[in-house]
Amino acid sequence: MAKQRIGYFEDSQDPEAMCSRCRMCELICAFHHHQVGNPRRGRIRVIVLGRGEDIPVTCLNCEDPPCLKICPTGALHRLQPEGMVTVNPDSCIGCAMCVNVCPVGAVTIDPVEGTASKCDLCQGDPQCVLYCPAKVLRLTDTEHQAHFRRKGYARSLIAATQDR
Amino acid sequence: MTNFAGGYAGRILYVDLTDGSIEKRPFDRDFALRYVGGRGISSRILYDELEPGMDSFSPDNRLILATGPLNGTPTPSASRLVVASKSPLTGGLGDASAGGYWAPELKYAGFDAIVVRGRSPEPVYLWIEDGEVRIRPGKHLWGQRIHDTSQLLKEEIGDDDIHVCAIGPGGENLVRYACVVTDEEGVAGRCGIGAVMGSKRLKAVVVRGTLDVGIADPARFKQAVDAYRETLVGEVWTDVLRKLGTPNLVAHRQKLGIWGAKNFQKATIEGWEKISGETFRERFLIKAMGCMGCMVRCRRYSAIQEGPLSPTFTKGPEYDTINALGAKTYVIDPAIILRAHHLCDEYGIDEQTAGSSIAMAMELYERGLLKKEETDGIDLTFGNGEALLHFIEKIPFRKGLGDLLAEGTKIMGERLGAGYYAIHVKGLEVDASDPRSLVTRALTYSVATRGSCHLRGFPYIDEFIKPEEAEAHFGTASVSRLDAIEGKGRMVAWSENWITIANLLGLCIFAWYRSRSFPMLIRRGQELASETFSAATGLPMTGEKLLRCGERVYNLEKLFNLREGFGRASDYPPLRFFEEPLSDGPGKGAKLSRDDYDRLLDEYYEARGWDKETGVPTPDKLKSLDLL
Repeated sequence: MAKQRIGYFEDSQDPEAMCSRCRMCELICAFHHHQVGNPRRGRIRVIVLGRGEDIPVTCLNCEDPPCLKICPTGALHRLQPEGMVTVNPDSCIGCAMCVNVCPVGAVTIDPVEGTASKCDLCQGDPQCVLYCPAKVLRLTDTEHQAHFRRKGYARSLIAATQDR
Repeated sequence: MTNFAGGYAGRILYVDLTDGSIEKRPFDRDFALRYVGGRGISSRILYDELEPGMDSFSPDNRLILATGPLNGTPTPSASRLVVASKSPLTGGLGDASAGGYWAPELKYAGFDAIVVRGRSPEPVYLWIEDGEVRIRPGKHLWGQRIHDTSQLLKEEIGDDDIHVCAIGPGGENLVRYACVVTDEEGVAGRCGIGAVMGSKRLKAVVVRGTLDVGIADPARFKQAVDAYRETLVGEVWTDVLRKLGTPNLVAHRQKLGIWGAKNFQKATIEGWEKISGETFRERFLIKAMGCMGCMVRCRRYSAIQEGPLSPTFTKGPEYDTINALGAKTYVIDPAIILRAHHLCDEYGIDEQTAGSSIAMAMELYERGLLKKEETDGIDLTFGNGEALLHFIEKIPFRKGLGDLLAEGTKIMGERLGAGYYAIHVKGLEVDASDPRSLVTRALTYSVATRGSCHLRGFPYIDEFIKPEEAEAHFGTASVSRLDAIEGKGRMVAWSENWITIANLLGLCIFAWYRSRSFPMLIRRGQELASETFSAATGLPMTGEKLLRCGERVYNLEKLFNLREGFGRASDYPPLRFFEEPLSDGPGKGAKLSRDDYDRLLDEYYEARGWDKETGVPTPDKLKSLDLL
């Protein structure tokens, strides 16, 4: 099985199938992991770019994760070769080197606990996917995501042909 | 530590801008059990702290920004902020509410509410972060529109992940219906609270927070949230809202013939399809948006990307946008309506009173009561879209005729001796629809405690309640008959208490309260609302008790208004609705009957426990609500 992660699957032709910035993913993530309301403790964040552009961002589950490599205490670790990097808060010293090197900003320092915090896929049942009202978040892997992109591309080819 | 196991941030922030003092007071547990939050906080404080008869622009008026206990939790659609003051438009109790993201963020920053008094010598803004509060100079922001204000603050603070609640030039220049805008999109429009904020020289309140909003019983809470989500499955109303937003109502208004088009001279619109929800979706919609945690997503994000009005990017429109800026002025052009809407938000003026005031001026112009030399040389006829855009640019700066239009219809009527054409109740313009053929709606719009309002009650229950449900709940099956009057006063009173619950908790009435099944109104609005409240806060609550809280707050608002001189006569619809029959459409010939309305109002007062002559709550009623 290829490495899993949360993927964003919008349909740019359907106004109801794009991130609608409700931020339920942030809320439910923080609730699931900490039993509170506090989106800044969510491990997925909706990035607001203006002019209606909003995109949820979370861990990409890199093949060669810089966060894991740079962690000086071994707090960030991987239990299985394909699995998400997870944090052992007991050995995390909150140095935030992982935050510095993550290319997409998916690792944060939890504002309450002061230790590294990142997506763990909720042990295989990601709550953000379950609660996303637009159904644009999915548990996916790179092969699925590429397939989705290929379909979008194929549709645009058909449309271009029909336009002619 | 706070007095609460969850839900509440536990503190209220008091700021006096005259002397710059800042005080953080604990939020009281007993107060929470009686007034809950939101409108409960604001109405109680306004009643307690304001001297009767005070000028709304006096430094002693209060600006209150209040959240509810569910804001900031993952309760779906718990996004609403309440802003409140004595209204400069009506002189009575004024409040408005906004969705979006600001109310939750205030909780994360450590406060349930902010109470501002006094007047700063110079423009300022408030910067609140994790319980720390600073009053900062705001002179460089004064005069800026909403988007630019937000951008300047983000640059100054060095973070674009902040949340801004601001006024535009409309509020600065004391336009009596200036609004308060959160995060450039969530507009608390009505009653002119933005003008009170401007009178205090407070340009913005900026918040950022990383503090937890606790959940007292997480397992029980999750159960309640999931139960709410289940109620949305198969809910037709929410499907329609997601697809078309509130503009889905355009077709409905046309079908019933209840537009108040041309300042309530016309009940239907020729070529209404040009401004339908479907048209706005096809031509301008970029995507459906959701406020914080919303599973319904009725908010629109739209753009004009071609033609002379491009580029315009804006949230909206709402149905009320189309009604106020389109139907009332008879500008049946969707691009102009969308552009006018965007400008109202950017300048910080309430589009509903703006549209109503311009529409009234159009009627006066057509009747010869306003001359061309008084209208900046503009041919101010119905349907003149350029005139509409022109005056929306003038009102915020009180230039030319814009100075008079900035007063709202009631004062316009007084100044011009043309009160008959000012279509308002208690000074707030009639929105939503023309109730001449629907007396129950007329009652709802007219008794509302902030002036004419279609959101303070739910008069549509008679369209779907079953006879046996009506019998059981309102004591008469006639409530299920559209043409009946008996029982409708009780129905309206109940619906006001019930819908107030949403404003206390911070819930959105569209996501939680709209349904065309009576049992669902009870299920969501009382059972699930109280269950979610208890699970989040750890406080004991039932649906019945919440309803009593709603009734308590409603009575308090009535007491506030009585103190300001609003008696029974102020609970009547505009004279036009009794005098002039609908000129066209399915309801042609219909007008309100004074006998019917009197009967309905009597029954409403009786249901409320208010004196029929004066509208004053009886001592027994006040005692039963612990208000005496």
